[in-house]
Amino acid sequence: MKKNLYILLSLIVLASMALSACGGGVVATEAPAGPAATEAPVEATEAPMAEPKSATGAWSQEPDNIVPYYTQMSYAIWIAQLTLVGLAEWDDQGSFVPELAAEIPSAANGGVSADGLTITWKLKEGLKWSDGEALTSADVKFTFDQVMDPANAPLSRTGYDKIASVETPDDLTVVITFSELYPGWQTLFTQGPNNAGSILPAHVLAGKTALESDPFIHQPTVASGPFVITDWVAGDHMVLARNDNFYGSRPILDTVNIKFVPTPETALAALQTGDVDWYPDFSESDIETVNALEPAVHLKVVPGADFEHYFFNLGTTAGVDGKGAADQDGFCPFKDVNVRKAITLGINRQAFVDSLLAGKTTVPVSQWPNSEWENKSLTPATYDPDGAAALLEEAGYALGDDGIRHGDCNGEDTKLSFTFDTTDKQLRVDIALAVQSDLAKIGVEFKPNHSPAGTFFAGYTDGGIMPTGNYDMAGYTTGFYPDPMPGAIDSFSCDTVPNAEKPAGANNYLVCDPKLDELMAAGNATADPATRKVAIDELQKYIYDNYYVVMMYARANVYGYVDRFVPGSFGFFSNMNWNAEVWDVK
Amino acid sequence: MWAYIARRAIQALFTLLIITVLCFILTRLSADPLAQYATNPNMSTADKEALRERLGLNQPLPVQYFKWLGLAIQGDLGNSFFSKQPVSLMISQRLPNTLKLMFTYEIITILVSLVLGIISAVRQYSLLDNVITTFSFIGFSMPIFFIALGAMLIFAVKFKEWGFPYLPTGADIWDQKDPLEYIKHMILPVSCLVIIGTAGYARFIRTSILEVLGQDYVRTARAKGLSNRMVLYKHALRNAALPLVTIIGLDIPGLLGGALVTESVYAWPGMGRLFWEYAQRGDFPVVLGILLIISSAVVIFTIITDVVYTFVDPRIRLS
Repeated sequence: MKKNLYILLSLIVLASMALSACGGGVVATEAPAGPAATEAPVEATEAPMAEPKSATGAWSQEPDNIVPYYTQMSYAIWIAQLTLVGLAEWDDQGSFVPELAAEIPSAANGGVSADGLTITWKLKEGLKWSDGEALTSADVKFTFDQVMDPANAPLSRTGYDKIASVETPDDLTVVITFSELYPGWQTLFTQGPNNAGSILPAHVLAGKTALESDPFIHQPTVASGPFVITDWVAGDHMVLARNDNFYGSRPILDTVNIKFVPTPETALAALQTGDVDWYPDFSESDIETVNALEPAVHLKVVPGADFEHYFFNLGTTAGVDGKGAADQDGFCPFKDVNVRKAITLGINRQAFVDSLLAGKTTVPVSQWPNSEWENKSLTPATYDPDGAAALLEEAGYALGDDGIRHGDCNGEDTKLSFTFDTTDKQLRVDIALAVQSDLAKIGVEFKPNHSPAGTFFAGYTDGGIMPTGNYDMAGYTTGFYPDPMPGAIDSFSCDTVPNAEKPAGANNYLVCDPKLDELMAAGNATADPATRKVAIDELQKYIYDNYYVVMMYARANVYGYVDRFVPGSFGFFSNMNWNAEVWDVK
Repeated sequence: MWAYIARRAIQALFTLLIITVLCFILTRLSADPLAQYATNPNMSTADKEALRERLGLNQPLPVQYFKWLGLAIQGDLGNSFFSKQPVSLMISQRLPNTLKLMFTYEIITILVSLVLGIISAVRQYSLLDNVITTFSFIGFSMPIFFIALGAMLIFAVKFKEWGFPYLPTGADIWDQKDPLEYIKHMILPVSCLVIIGTAGYARFIRTSILEVLGQDYVRTARAKGLSNRMVLYKHALRNAALPLVTIIGLDIPGLLGGALVTESVYAWPGMGRLFWEYAQRGDFPVVLGILLIISSAVVIFTIITDVVYTFVDPRIRLS
């Protein structure tokens, strides 16, 4: 027995010694908090000619690749903002500003023809790729050719397919002629939140086909942005070095590291230990947690143009005038605008914003929140449970013994009891429970059903609940920007109601309203922003008056960054990466 | 024996085929690869239709499966729908990290469990046994994310705050070619896995040894005058190790799949994260590629375990 005890004690001592040795190694090699803690290994071997400046950001996901024509992932767009830029971008105020272009084309400077069909871009003089090769109009033409080349497989050719020709009369001029009016021309060859029109290097990629599988999209050799990728360790991190040939001011940081950190809890801990300098992926529900870490960790909340919304299944199997037929009829009471209005008035949206979102965002009035396209004359309907109950009474839905209203709908006694589908994100779960409680007060039974995003957003051919009309109410986040119309048209048009003939239709509301189609067409009938604004204002008012959707809250981008890191301004459309050249460390 | 192995290998092929069918169906039904584009305003209806056709997702499920299987039989696991990279390349980038993490964990777990299990059994109902048993139950019942995040909070965040030497969160950029850095970054994730793993193994070993210690031949050995040490190590442990061989043999292939939660919490670029990230997006070439490798390992190690049994247990003979 004693011998066994001796063995045990010996093992414990040995284990302790081993752990101490490991721990000792940690102590001996651990860098002090601060700049050195975030330096890339690459730098450790460089000669210390000058104090190199380095910062490390943590992203929750790894980009698929760095050429956004082949991915729609936000992180790919972000890395493209840092490395492969476009002709123009949106700044922190949401204004369209030049990048590689010398100026934004307009009617005044002759960049936009009178008929709106020809756009002429002028490039900055002396542009260079990071390897020193000249960046010219030929690269823009090459980019267009690559997007349209049938041998390549970009995810989207939207807009590019409306271009009849791209001409390059000289190295600095690009003349784009559209075959038909395309008001969203600003989203082509430019960097935006939902579009990333990186200009591709002709001198590197010329003669190649099937670019989607070319090594360049994972290990690019040149860059036009402020940084160039020097190392990409799959699943772990990227190292970017300053591009000395960047067109703008010389980037301040020598190195930017991007570490892929899938959990926000880890990112939060890493911010506290100084392992990373910033994290751009917090959700609205993290606002209070991050805020509590001031002054070591700073919180930045930027209300965006995305919005969380709930909506009604407005599908009809009959369609309208032979168009927009859905697979199933929606929940009958939702066809009555007063029921939709009552549900909107019966949800205390401002309370969610104040309590669950720390009051850092707003209840939006329309589908273009915080944007120049927003119809400022409208105000969000305020919480009014009494008014909501009165509307339901008026619509013929009386309270039953079980506390749930019921009434006649198309000749059938119908209970105001319906399902609500959304994803299983915790914030959505919390808000759905609060909505359930609110609606119960006006005699409406709201039954939330949460699924993983991959299931909830499944397409028609995969039996997705939304395109097949197999839902009553649903909710998720979307946004129609930077150009206001393409997303709206896809979401509200009779032509995009999904059915067996049009399985890829994106009209998840299943609404087919000729008046909506007419208003959207008006918003897309001109390239003149002022004229478009009038039409889009009217469109917003129509959607608002008809209570087609319940606008829940404007989504916010939530960033946390440590005190030593000095970010630039945070873009309204273009996040914090739009001006990475000014990033600095104290 | 060779005939036995050959027969088992043929059976394994059929097993693998069934596994791939089930996994394919589950993967395809659980997530639509194009779901992430559902609300993207930059992808028109026509774009989505074209993409669905290009990826072959508009074809009937059996056609999609047999196309994948045809390539897999030739050793081509296909390309990821999203990264466009060959699945084999993606796996080869992650597998070494997972193997380093998981085999370190497995070896430490077995060693620690053996020590604790033996002590616990030999000192049954002693204070030490009760302490080990209590901690085993605690370790067994605690979710790994709780342990992982708790350890990170204490040994990384709080230790730094208190001015102690602290361990990295894993979210830092570090030189993976530096062995010291590697060890430093493995301490927390491996420790968390060991806490969970040891709890189960130690209980198993304790029970197994106690069962053997009650056997007639152990009593006979003692009656012959053998020392407790000889009885334990010469007779009891060897026999108690038999079921352990089975468990370890079946656990090893599972190690290839990595540890999803631990890898995620400690930002470890392993197979678990790769699987989870692409499963969420319905990227079935990646998911099936990983599952095929793990399933193959399971069947192979099951055969190996059976063969090893013949060496450690003379009562078993393959025929």
